[in-house]
Amino acid sequence: MSSVAPRPARTSSGPGRVLVAVYGLFALAACSRAGVQLATQYAEAPLAYLLSAVAGVVYVVATVTLARSTRTSRRVALVAIGVELVGVLTVGTLSVVDPAAFPRATVWSTYGIGYGFVPLVLPVLGLLWLRRTRPPA
Amino acid sequence: MIDGLAYAVVALSGGVTLWGLVTAVAGRPPGKAQLLFAAGVWLVTLAQTVLGLVGLARGFRPVETATTIGYLLGIVVLIPLAWFWANSERTRWSGVVMAVAGLSVLAMTLRLLTLWVAR
Repeated sequence: MSSVAPRPARTSSGPGRVLVAVYGLFALAACSRAGVQLATQYAEAPLAYLLSAVAGVVYVVATVTLARSTRTSRRVALVAIGVELVGVLTVGTLSVVDPAAFPRATVWSTYGIGYGFVPLVLPVLGLLWLRRTRPPA
Repeated sequence: MIDGLAYAVVALSGGVTLWGLVTAVAGRPPGKAQLLFAAGVWLVTLAQTVLGLVGLARGFRPVETATTIGYLLGIVVLIPLAWFWANSERTRWSGVVMAVAGLSVLAMTLRLLTLWVAR
């Protein structure tokens, strides 16, 4: 913290460093997975694979905006992480209630069980972190 | 890919994870020896990836070729990315970032071992 003027806490500092790292990891994982699926087996489950791609884009946006940590990027991060939370809850619930709709796994299937439920925990931590680093009004 | 080398990567990246958590708990940023160790582990993962890609180039076909290539490339980029990201702001959290990378390389290498079976 500088002594010159109160500045908004940076979303990329301290614990935020770890958050950005984990978001980056999921950006890489989800995009690679979607890339492989869309390129090799699109016809098998177009909805599931497109959802993988959407998840990948959301993770990329969250990674970049949390790392940039400007006022605008905080707003974009809030939207991206909000979409992420809604996405993992919706896809997670649908994949449990109606497995036939998701014949192939996505990052968000069964609330991210294939990734140790990190996809479910991550948006919650992201939102808490944005709140914690909120600039003074 | 060689199984023995994969187990070495698993053990070494586990070492990166533990060491990162130890310095984080102690409240220190990663030390010089720790960073050199991570660089050494990266060289072993690089060897693993090169051997894997050579195997694929020579005609070996694992269960899922595209996924295998993704994992082989993934394990080789994670440690350098974490290394630089962790050290652009040196706090105890740098160690946690290194631990995340170590754990990911460990998990991805275990997955590679299950994929690396001839179709």
